[in-house]
Amino acid sequence: MAATFFGEVVKAPCRAGTEDEEEEEEGRRETPEDREVRQQLARKREVRLLRRQTKTSLEVSLLEKYPCSKFIIAIGNNAVAFLSSFVMNSGVWEEVGCAKLWNEWCRTADTTHLSSTEAFCGFYHLKSNPSVFGSCPRKNMQITILTCRHVTDYKTLESTGSLPSPFLKALKTQNFKDPACCPLLEQPNIVHDLPAAVLSYCQVWKIPAILYLCYTDVMKLDLITVEAFKPILSTRSLKGLVKNIPQSTEILKKLMTTNEIQSNIYT
Amino acid sequence: MDVCTFEKVGIRGTNIVVLGVEKKSVAKLQDERTVRKICALDDHVCMAFAGLTADARVVINRARVECQSHKLTVEDPVTVEYITRFIATLKQKYTQSNGRRPFGISALIVGFDDDGIPRLYQTDPSGTYHAWKANAIGRSAKTVREFLEKNYTEDAIASDNEAIKLAIKALLEVVQSGGKNIELAIIRRNQPLKMFSAKEVELYVTEIEKEKEEAEKKKSKKSV
Repeated sequence: MAATFFGEVVKAPCRAGTEDEEEEEEGRRETPEDREVRQQLARKREVRLLRRQTKTSLEVSLLEKYPCSKFIIAIGNNAVAFLSSFVMNSGVWEEVGCAKLWNEWCRTADTTHLSSTEAFCGFYHLKSNPSVFGSCPRKNMQITILTCRHVTDYKTLESTGSLPSPFLKALKTQNFKDPACCPLLEQPNIVHDLPAAVLSYCQVWKIPAILYLCYTDVMKLDLITVEAFKPILSTRSLKGLVKNIPQSTEILKKLMTTNEIQSNIYT
Repeated sequence: MDVCTFEKVGIRGTNIVVLGVEKKSVAKLQDERTVRKICALDDHVCMAFAGLTADARVVINRARVECQSHKLTVEDPVTVEYITRFIATLKQKYTQSNGRRPFGISALIVGFDDDGIPRLYQTDPSGTYHAWKANAIGRSAKTVREFLEKNYTEDAIASDNEAIKLAIKALLEVVQSGGKNIELAIIRRNQPLKMFSAKEVELYVTEIEKEKEEAEKKKSKKSV
């Protein structure tokens, strides 16, 4: 303890470890009210897996019910827009289920009626080609993950102004033998959140997986960013799935105009 | 870095300067006339900008006052280079002052000097300015600039109409919904700024599409 110039007594900083720990313990002791609030929040948090037609819960693990050889995950609105206009536009895709979740960071307080714009994940399978989400054994499964990241997160020696954003980078697991359609992600860049979790899981369980990461300067839904994913259509994993590219471009444009929120800040 | 900005193209012809901009779609209840992208700085100079609208408004107001002040002081209208240098110096000042941030706009300034020579300048937030024969600013500026590098020839700018068509063709490369989203302005030697109406732009667009079809027909005939 030390006295300051103004006469107040303050705690002097101390580099002795033990003393600090005691102080921290005191601060962390929570009141019964805190505990109660935390327990209530924990009860409210939920993740629900629903079957499409009946909206009843999917008790059985999705992959056991619909074993698949190609699994494509899109994370973020640009990746999802790419997938829905280019891949899901060709062929008939059937929604087999969805996952909805709620936790205290979600913006709505209503836990019973979650709209599809909230935290939401849809599972679709291709009706015409059963090997995509079909009946092949799990051993031959290949996973493709698409996601976006802001270009300011990209660490490089070059100046960010000269980067040709948006651009694609790839990261693959050891078992993925096919070549990527774009350069690999260099060090010291790392992948975050859900794509990182999926990729780590695949690496541990020796599942061939590749992540395509698009670095862009616009994080909201944007035509140029979505089109940056186009080189992926030439890879082996997505080749057979995409048929009609001009039509897909039209659908993408429609998606853009319906989702456009015009702000007056920029001209 | 250009974020969310719409394309602007500037072309310096032999007897004409052309500024073409991509119109962004306005909200239903918004008065379209108040969303102006091409602004006259004086009778013989105009500019288009890409970036923060509010910053542009401040810069344009200062530039307009400077144009009149110059005319009253030296009894000559500003040269395009003078007003560009003024704007660039203003932008540079804001990169070197405490408590201020740079102006977030890039501008294309076109006009005719008293000696009758057409000019096109581009400025950016750092305060540098350069003269160009043709240039583009905005999100897909690289694509448009590549198109201009391929197609800007002495023939292409020989006549006024050809220069206008080149500007429209360059914009059509990146503008999503075609002619109705393009705004065009020209300045001819010794004439004031002329803004094109939507109909006039459509006329040019139809002409360009016709030429394209005829070129494709010729190509297919040749290959047969």
